[in-house]
Order: sequence, then structure tokens, then C-alpha cells
Amino acid sequence: MIKTAVDAGAGSITGRKTGKKTLIGGRIPKLDAPEKVAGLTRYLEDIKLPRMLYGKILFADRPHARIVGIDTAAAKAMHGVRAVLTTADIELVPFGFGGDNTALKTGKVTCIRDEVAAVAADTPEIAAAAILVIKVIYEDLPAVTSPEEALADGAPVIHKKTPDNVPFRFDYLHGDIEQGIRESDVIVEDTYTLQRAAHCCLGRAGIIARFEADGRLTLHSLTQVPFSYKHDLSRIVGVPPEKIRVLQPPIGGAFGSKLDIHPFEPICIFLARATGRPVQIVFTREEEFLATPTRQPMVIHLKSGARKDGTFTFRDVRMTLDNGGRTSWGATTPWISMRTFSSLYRVPHVRQHVDVVYTNNIYACAFRGYGNPQATFALESQIDQLADRLGMDPLEIRLKNAQEPGETTGQGMVLGTCGLAECLKTAARNAGWDVKHSPLRKTLVRDALVRDSNTLVRDSNLAPARVCGMGMASLFHVGGGAKIQRSDGCGTMLKIDDFGGVTVQTGASEIGQGSETVIAQIVAEELGLPVSNIRVLNSDSDFKPWDVGVHASRTTFIAGNSAQRAAREARGKLMEGAGRHLHRNPDELDLADGNVTDRATGEPLESIGKIVRSMHFGGKHEMIMTSHFYEPPSEMPDQDHKGNVSACYAFGTHVAEVEVDLDTGVVRVLGISAAHDVGRVINRMGIEGQIEGGIAQGIGYALYEEVKVQGGRVLNPTFTDYKLVTTREVPELKIEFIETHDPAGPHGAKGVAEAPLVPVAPAIANAIFNATGVRITELPMTPERVLAKLREARKTLVRETLVRETLVRDSNLAPGRGGDIHG
Amino acid sequence: MRQVSDTIDVAFTVNGETVHLSVSPDTSLVDALRDDLELTGTKQGCGEGECGACSVLLNGKVVNSCLVLAVECAGAEVLTIEGLGRMGKLHPLQDAFVQNGAVQCGFCTPGMVMAAYALLQENPSPSEADVRRALEGNLCRCTGYRKIIDAVMAAANGGPRHD
Amino acid sequence: MTKTYVAAQTVEEAVRALSQTGATIFAGGTDLMPRWFRNLVPKPTAVVDIKGVEQLRSIKLADGDVSVGACVLMSELETHSIIRAAAPILAEAAARIACPQIRNRATVGGNLCNASPAADAAVPLLLLDAVLDVASSGSKGLATREIPIAEFFRGPGSTALRPGEVLTCIRFKPLPTGSFCAWDKFGTRPAMEIAVASVGVVLHRVEGRVVGARVAYGSVAPIPLRGHQAESALIGRLLSDEVVDLCVTAARKEISPITDVRASEGYRREIVGVLLRRMLENAAGF
Ligand SMILES: Cc1cc2nc3c(=O)[nH]c(=O)nc-3n(C[C@H](O)[C@H](O)[C@H](O)COP(=O)(O)OP(=O)(O)OC[C@H]3O[C@@H](n4cnc5c(N)ncnc54)[C@H](O)[C@@H]3O)c2cc1C
Ligand code: FES
Ligand code: FES
Repeated sequence: MIKTAVDAGAGSITGRKTGKKTLIGGRIPKLDAPEKVAGLTRYLEDIKLPRMLYGKILFADRPHARIVGIDTAAAKAMHGVRAVLTTADIELVPFGFGGDNTALKTGKVTCIRDEVAAVAADTPEIAAAAILVIKVIYEDLPAVTSPEEALADGAPVIHKKTPDNVPFRFDYLHGDIEQGIRESDVIVEDTYTLQRAAHCCLGRAGIIARFEADGRLTLHSLTQVPFSYKHDLSRIVGVPPEKIRVLQPPIGGAFGSKLDIHPFEPICIFLARATGRPVQIVFTREEEFLATPTRQPMVIHLKSGARKDGTFTFRDVRMTLDNGGRTSWGATTPWISMRTFSSLYRVPHVRQHVDVVYTNNIYACAFRGYGNPQATFALESQIDQLADRLGMDPLEIRLKNAQEPGETTGQGMVLGTCGLAECLKTAARNAGWDVKHSPLRKTLVRDALVRDSNTLVRDSNLAPARVCGMGMASLFHVGGGAKIQRSDGCGTMLKIDDFGGVTVQTGASEIGQGSETVIAQIVAEELGLPVSNIRVLNSDSDFKPWDVGVHASRTTFIAGNSAQRAAREARGKLMEGAGRHLHRNPDELDLADGNVTDRATGEPLESIGKIVRSMHFGGKHEMIMTSHFYEPPSEMPDQDHKGNVSACYAFGTHVAEVEVDLDTGVVRVLGISAAHDVGRVINRMGIEGQIEGGIAQGIGYALYEEVKVQGGRVLNPTFTDYKLVTTREVPELKIEFIETHDPAGPHGAKGVAEAPLVPVAPAIANAIFNATGVRITELPMTPERVLAKLREARKTLVRETLVRETLVRDSNLAPGRGGDIHG
Repeated sequence: MRQVSDTIDVAFTVNGETVHLSVSPDTSLVDALRDDLELTGTKQGCGEGECGACSVLLNGKVVNSCLVLAVECAGAEVLTIEGLGRMGKLHPLQDAFVQNGAVQCGFCTPGMVMAAYALLQENPSPSEADVRRALEGNLCRCTGYRKIIDAVMAAANGGPRHD
Repeated sequence: MTKTYVAAQTVEEAVRALSQTGATIFAGGTDLMPRWFRNLVPKPTAVVDIKGVEQLRSIKLADGDVSVGACVLMSELETHSIIRAAAPILAEAAARIACPQIRNRATVGGNLCNASPAADAAVPLLLLDAVLDVASSGSKGLATREIPIAEFFRGPGSTALRPGEVLTCIRFKPLPTGSFCAWDKFGTRPAMEIAVASVGVVLHRVEGRVVGARVAYGSVAPIPLRGHQAESALIGRLLSDEVVDLCVTAARKEISPITDVRASEGYRREIVGVLLRRMLENAAGF
């Protein structure tokens, strides 16, 4: 075991109101961090089982083609190859949200990542070599590479059962759009284009499958949803769910990517069955880019209106999703987009129509925010466009329309607590909004834009190369789970042992986000024990109780509530035992620092361990083992997508300050000020980490990240050309938490994991607009795209008087300008 | 001149211990460490030099072990994440990562720590800009880097930061 | 399958080993290994590691010439006092390659021999008019010859090296005191970027008038390119706004960028102009 200073009392603080020491709100290092920094954590790819084989998949590598024949003879003949599978060898059970996927593909392939054959071999090298000698004869079919092509008359049909290439349409309405239009003094309309972004979990996708002698199936899996996974897999591979055990090793990032069952998982199971040996599949980074799903690319056409005083009147949304060649759960992301359009601000009339369109591109799945980043980009960009038309300050127009506590939104969501107005004001204040968001800038920059670096004589004193601006955007997300199935619950089983050690078995899964630590903290708080006394077990479906899975930012809220209630029950039992043992009224007792104490004086009376022992060896001869299944007080949305889907809702505002290089289009984020309504901070260190990580992902999404697909093929399947934010670009961050103490949450907490990514891109886009007067409606906002827009704008702008002071941040910052040689 | 065929025997030092391996000439150091020596703390995020998860010190310099051949290491000294702490005790830099919340999924962590360790060996009191530059080749998808940078600064300033 | 690994200790050993069929020189491996990993090229049957050749590892200043061994690392170029004094643009370029892990492995010789149009060391070395020493196995021991860098690059991945030849040394004269030099590369992020475009300039001026000018570009032609047209626009002139404009226009004409996943042709032209303009304006200010 590795020892660290994470121990009794570490991170505890003194409660504001009670004066009592509390762990809630403290900075608690993650319980699994010592193992991880020591390099001792065993991730999936670190696990080697005896006689384990290595699986590898042959992908189609063509967007749309009929499979005419497959010849596996050469692969089968290779030394060290133990199995080669094609659709001839396995039963094909359709799966996935659209029921249009199978483990291996037969008949035809509909995107380059379609799985055609698979190999298991003694080494990864042999498996890779064997894949190369499988010969597949294809007959290429015309490929549909965009939704426009797919919707055109006479477009090739991608899946027979969907002749119009539109597998899903979603419609939402509250109010009356026509009335909204009539009530509007200004109306703005624009189209926003959102790219494919990849999760880029540093740990690559993979699985190990093994069959036991009695036919049971054990999986080492990265799934975020172990119980529905068992259920769904069971159908696909023909093993009863009660005979499937899912072990969840520590995971190198998930962010939604492990919500679906991916074809490689049943494939690996089929390979294990065919060989009678454990089989491991781990993707290469290239496969990770090519053959794991991305964020949904969307085109959002948004029209919205406001009255003269800034009151929002209506919003009309049309969305088109490029669904790719197969359907994952990600096709339902528009359900989440809807909530932002309908409920982030008060607006009486909202309509949304969505077409999910098949193409022969790679497909998408869940990704942190689940359709919300796309919607928020469109909405928050357009709010600034409205504000600009009305001559209003972007902060003012948002405050005017911000949701308030007690409101039931048009979509039927009940906002018990809502800190949006506070978030807006706080983020703006911390960013220096009043000073830095100068509407003056726009005119100044117009002048700068007149200059042309090619022909115009440039007076660099007059026309600065770099300008700064500030923009804001807010967000709305579920904060108390999301009831999309009959239950959104989570179970906990808790045991206090005879030395005061606590084992918590939670249904919730840890994916690096730190839920384990939060659960330990909540339990420790309830039982008056140091966090280091709590062990959280969450990685074996044979032991852990049921849970929906880790998604929708639900774990702190749902699993936290569940753990808190189980701990409370254990506390009751403990107090009862203590009362008996100490001959005191349990009401006079308390728990602190591992002891039963006198509530009045705080004096320690007996250790918790001793009390438990007294309960084992005497009295009623009982153990302290409790369980709780927490079901949040939320409801499944009705057919019209309405209803109070979550037990509470999270809000937040980000203000971004950027610097734009007018010659190159490079956008640098100088700072982000974030304020989040998190209900209550449980682990300050953990929640800061979530916000900071989300912001970095948000900056990447805004400025760099795109899986570029052309003709159905991925052009940039490497970290060199798929650009993540690095240490060099992390801006100055100011993070503040708005604590609205939601009565439904554990200690008042709401979920937050997805939220921080959501508003970053529109805040940056709005800041670019503030800096340059140019509106970017397509992500990522690459230098090339920004420069093109600047050039376009220049053509239409007129020269005005120049005032330069506020413009030049520090033109000496420019790198590479060289200098004199001094011998 | 050393000339060998098929698999070749190499001896080098890993975390202070001499190891003898028989590897094929195209085996990368990261594979030798992970598969042959079972030192799985060194991670492979890409295999192409782009993520830094496989960072180790080779003769005192930080390198991507996925871009080093195991056979090249004959006679060399290799330091991996497992070699930093001793006898169940974390190195102060590792402890700083824990105490500053610099770890989430932890997959990038060993590489980050090694790159930071190399920096502090050469420059015991780096500026924040130095830290950012030293870690520019180490990707992290979870933390947003802020707490990683803080952890390295804290370690440089004499131990983990508690606040 | 790679069957043989040769750790050469001398140039003679290296060229002898290289004459085996299927042998490839292996320096830092930072270009080779990712390509092998992704099966983009077959692995060679024999790997000839030349990093152990002492002679290829040194940086020297002798008889007014700087000589840099082919296996000098980017991290060494970045910090070496001789390079920083004699050719700061080379030190700067080395410092901007990838990240510390790569710079601790990547060699300057590998950067040139790999012949990527984006090779960051190539532009400064073009500006320095470097001479490349190459060696091969001759009838009587080592055969050597010199290749001026201007003749070295033939196309993407292709150089003037003949089969069996090894680059041993890169020689150049220090930039004279009082000259102006600048090098910059453009990428979306500050680090871990293969250049979308790079530009370098060296100017010698007498009383403000340009008497010698060298311009070179990276990532905007099939090879790292010397900018002769841009140079002519400057020679004999004062760095007025008009001259800068003419030079930028010439530069944009003489490059032949392509559109790829990193940038479009038009944008590359744009960026070359911006980088060059900023350098010249900066020079004018001195
Ligand atoms: C993640 C990453 C980022 C990168 N970023 C950059 C960057 O920003 N800028 C940049 O310019 N490059 C970059 N590169 C490319 C690479 O690091 C450099 O080109 C490096 O200088 C190559 O040197 P090497 O010693 O590693 O070459 P090697 O891979 O060893 O060799 C490259 C080629 O040159 C041949 N060769 C090497 N030395 C000799 C010699 N002396 N004589 C004859 N032939 C020889 C080899 O046979 C091989 O064909 C990057 C690479 C990676 C993996
Ligand atoms: S695995 Fe070596 S750098 Fe990514
Ligand atoms: S902690 Fe997950 S990649 Fe860094």
C-alpha cells in the first residue's frame, strides 16, 4: 500500500452556520490518486490473463459497398492465429438505438468503420498481420457524404427499412410561434454549424472477455452503464444476463463514449467463445479516431425574437443531425438540446424540429453535454446577435430573461433552485465585464480591418495587429439525474466493520471524475469518520447493487443521495448500539472523529469500532449492514418531451476574454471567468477539477477540435492533426460557485460534470464578436475560418476614426519577430 | 560494433536494477517495459510520440518510450514512474500531484510526473511558463492542466501545497 | 520484420552496415518509428543506429566555421552557446519543434534527411547556406562529398543522398555581427505543431540599405524553399513600406503551397505574407 498524507481530518473545514467541523466543501484528494501517481493502477490494457489472446478487427475502409466475398484462408493459416470470424461464424442480432447495428456486418457496409471480420491470435502483432491478409471483395456503392445529399431526390438508400434516409424525427412545441413572431420587435435568424469532435480519452477503448467452465461470461469492460450493458449484451451474444459478470477496471477517461455497446465488445465475446480462451481487444489510437463514435455534427437553423426592451418572444429551431451509417444512443441528443432552447431563459413560444439523417459517414454517440454544447452555441450566439440589434448589453438582456427559482419552464421542468442571475452577475464581475466589454471596440476594429496586409500601406501605429474582446454565455443542464427510463435510481450497500472501517458498495461507476471520493466523503460526514476509513467498491456487477449508470451528471446527486441515506440508517443503528452499550439515550450522543461523543460536551465516549464489536458480541448480536435504493423525485418526459425529467437543474455562466490576431485569425483565450450553480460544493478540489477540465475541453471544441471527414473518410486520425488543448493554452481561470442548496441534493448538491464544457464555445464566439464585430457561426473557430470572416467583413465596412489605446494589448508579445545579432 | 540477429539480449538498468532482456530489434522500449518487465505504470496513449503518456527518463533525459527501441538501451539507465517513490512512500512530486488534485482518470499522470520530474532535475525552481513548456508534449483530457501546473509549482517550492 | 540491429561506433561501421540490403539509418527514430507503428512503410530488415558515433554528436566552431554533427539533438541546438551566438534562428527553430521528449531524441540530420517540406531546421539552414558533408563506403575506405543545402532537397521525402550515403556533418558560417535575422513558424497552437508555414529572414544592411538578403520558407512548397524573388525585392533598397509590400508580393508568388488537412493553399500564402511582413517591419524598426 502507498501511504500519503490523505488522512484523518485532511480537507475538513468548519461549517459556516453550525461551527461544527464538516467534510462538506473541503478539499479532499481523490482516494485513488496515490495508486495512480505511483503508476500502480491497473487499467484494462495492463491486465494480462493466463493464455489470453489478442483480438483485432478488420474495418471496411470504404463508406458504402456491397460485400461480395471474404477470403480468410491466408489468415487462418497463419502461425499463432487461433480464430478468424466473419458473419458466417456468428449469429447476427441487431442492436443499438436504431436497431441498425450488428457485431460484424453482412450484405453491405455503410461507413468506413463497419466491422467486417475479426481475428484472435497469440500476440497483437500476429493479429494485426492476420487482418492484413484477409481478402474482402467489395462492390462499391455511391456514397452519401452529407445530410443534404442524403435528403436529395433519388439519393441512395442507406438502410432498406428507412427509404427516406431519415430514421428519426423529433418535434417539440410550447406556445405559438406565429404569436411569438407577432410580438417581436426584432427577429434574428442564423445557421450554426457544429463539427464532429472526438472524446480522445487518453486510455484507449478495449475489453477482455472470458468464459468460465460453467458457461458464465466475465467481462473486463469500460462501460459506463454496467447493468443495462448486461441486459443488452445478453441478447446479442446469447448468454443470459444473470450469467454475465461485468468487472470495471479503472478507466482512462469516458466522457460519454462508453454509454453505448460498441460492436468490438460482442466481437470480442465471440472470439472468446470461438477459442475457449480469454481475449483482449485494445484499439490503437488510429482505430480510436476511426472506429469509436464522436460528438454529433449538427446544423442548427435558429430564428428568435425579442421585444424592444429585450424580453424574449419566441424561438424556432430546425436541426439536422448527420447520423452517419449506424445509429447510437447519440441520435437522442436533440432531446437535451431542446431543454436549453426551451428552458435556459424564459421564453413563451418555442418550437424545435429535428431530422436525424443517415449518411455514409462515421457515426456519433454520447459526449459530455449530450447535444447541449451544440444548442448552447446556437442559442447564446443568437442572444448576442439580438442584443446587438437592440443595442443592449449582453449581460443586461440575459438578466432580463434569466430563469428564476420557482419557475416551471415551458417544457415542464420545475426549477426549485436556480442561481442563473447570480451566475451571470458573478461571472461578469469577476471578469471585469464593465470595463472590458467595451462596445466601443467594434468600431475601432472596423478601422483596423480596412488595412490589407498585401497592398495597403500599413501604419502599424494606427492599425494594431491584435485586438481583445469579451463575451459571455450561460448554460442549463440536468443536475439531479435524468429520468429517461422507468428508474433513474442507484443502490448502495454499506457495512461498518468491527474496527470502524466502512465498506460502501455503490451501484455508481467511477470514470475518473472522482465520484468515489464524493461518496466516501458523504458517508464519512454522516458517520463521523475520517474519509480514509471509507472504502468504496464499485467495480464488480456481481457485488454492487443496481444503478442506471454514469451519465447525465447524475452520480454525485443520485449515488450521493443513495449513499447518504444508507449511511444515515447505519448511523441510526450505531447510535442505538452505542446507547445500549453506554447506557445513554441515543439522542444525547453524536459521532465525531471515529468516536461516539457526548452531544452536549463533544467529549469522546467510545470508539465506533468498540461499539460495533459490542453489537456483534452482545446485545442483539447484530451487524451494521444497511442498504438503500434511491429513486429521485423526477418523472419520465411524456410523448411531447415535457415533464420534470430531473430532480434539480444546474446553471452556469462563463465569460471569456480573447485576443484576435487580425492578420492571421488566431484566437487566443486570455481568461475565463466561470460561475456555476452547483447547489452545494461537496469536494472543492474535485469540483474545481471538473470545471477546469470542462473548460479545457470547451476551448478545444471552440477553437481546435474536429474530426475531419471527407468522402466518408477520416483525414486526421492522430493527435498531431486532431488538436487538443495543451498546457500552453490554458488561460487564466476564475471559478466561483453559487451555492443554492437544493433541498433534493445530498447536502444541497447538484450534478455538474457535463456543465463546464457547454458554454465555452459561445462565450468565445461572443468575445470574438466583441473584439472584431465579426460573428463566427461555425466550429471550430480555426484561424483560417476567422481570417476568412474578417476579410469578408472588411469588404463591407467603412473607415471610421481610430482610437487605439484600448486596442493594443501588447503587440510586443508577438513571437518570432527576431532581433539584432550582437557578436 | 554490436551486430545481432532476430532476438537480441540487452542489459540495462531500470529504476536502479539491472535487467536482462531478449527482445526483437524492433521492440519499443514501452513494450519492453510493459510486457517483458511488467512495469505497466508507463502508459501508451498513442504509440506515436504525440501524447507523452509513455514518458520515461533515459539517461536522465525525458523521452517518449514508444519512440525508443529497447535494443538501443543497452547499458543505459531508465527511470520509470515505479522508480520514483520508494518502499511505499511517494516521491514529493507524486505527493504534490495527489494533494493538488492533479489526477483524475490518472492515465496521463505517470507521463506527466516523469516529464515534470525531468524539468525539476534540470531546473529546481521553474517559472510557471517553464512548467507549461516542459509539459507541452503531455496531453491530459480530464484536468485542463491547471492543477497539474499547480502541483509541479508546489513541488518545486518545497513540497505539496495544502490550501 | 527487422532482423538486425547495428549500433555503429564509427562512420566507417555505419556506411558498411548501411550497404546491406534493406538497411536503414536510424538516428532519433522520431520520424521512423511512428511510420513503422502505423504500417505506413515496411520495417527495414536492418536498423543501423548511428547515435553512438561520437563524431556525429559534436558542435564545433573552428576556423570560422560552425560544424554540427548529424546526430546533434534538437535539445542541444536549442541551448548550445555556439549555436545561440552564431545562428540564433537555428536555436529558435529547434526549440519550437514538438516538445521536450521529441527534442531529446530528434536529430538535426534526421530532420534534413527525412526531407519533409515542414522540417523546421531546414529553413534556418537554408538561410545559413549550410554545406552538408556526406559519407559512403568507397573502394578505399570512406568516400565523402559535400552537398550545398540548396541542392539537397528534391521533393517530399526525397533528397540528393545516394543509396548508401550517410549525412555526417552540417557546416555553416556564423551570421555576421550586426545582421538581422528572424525565424517563425505558424501553427494553430503554440506547441506540438507541424508548421502550416514557416519563414526566415537574414538581412545585412549598410546605413539602412539592404546589401545582403536571404529569405526562406517551409511547408509552402514540395521542399523547404529559398526565396530568391523576395530577396531580390530587398537587395539595394531601404526597408520602406513599398519595399516591404513588394517583397511580400514576391514571396507569395514564388511559393507553391498545397491544400491539405492542416490548411488551405490560400491561407498558407496569406500566412507567409504576414510572417514575412512582420519580420521586415520589425527589422525596419531596428
Ligand atoms: C510528435 C512529433 C512531433 C514532431 N514535430 C516536429 C516539428 O514540430 N518540426 C519538425 O521539423 N519535425 C517534427 N517532427 C519530426 C521529427 O521529430 C524530426 O524530423 C526529427 O528531426 C527527425 O530526426 P530523427 O533523428 O528522429 O530521425 P529518424 O526518424 O531517425 O530518421 C528520419 C529519416 O532520416 C534518415 N536519416 C536520419 N539520419 C540520417 C543521416 N545522418 N544520414 C542519412 N540518413 C539519415 C532515416 O533513415 C530516416 O529516413 C515531429 C515528430 C513527432 C513524432
Ligand atoms: S504513447 Fe508514446 S507519446 Fe503517446
Ligand atoms: S487525468 Fe485523465 S488524461 Fe489526465
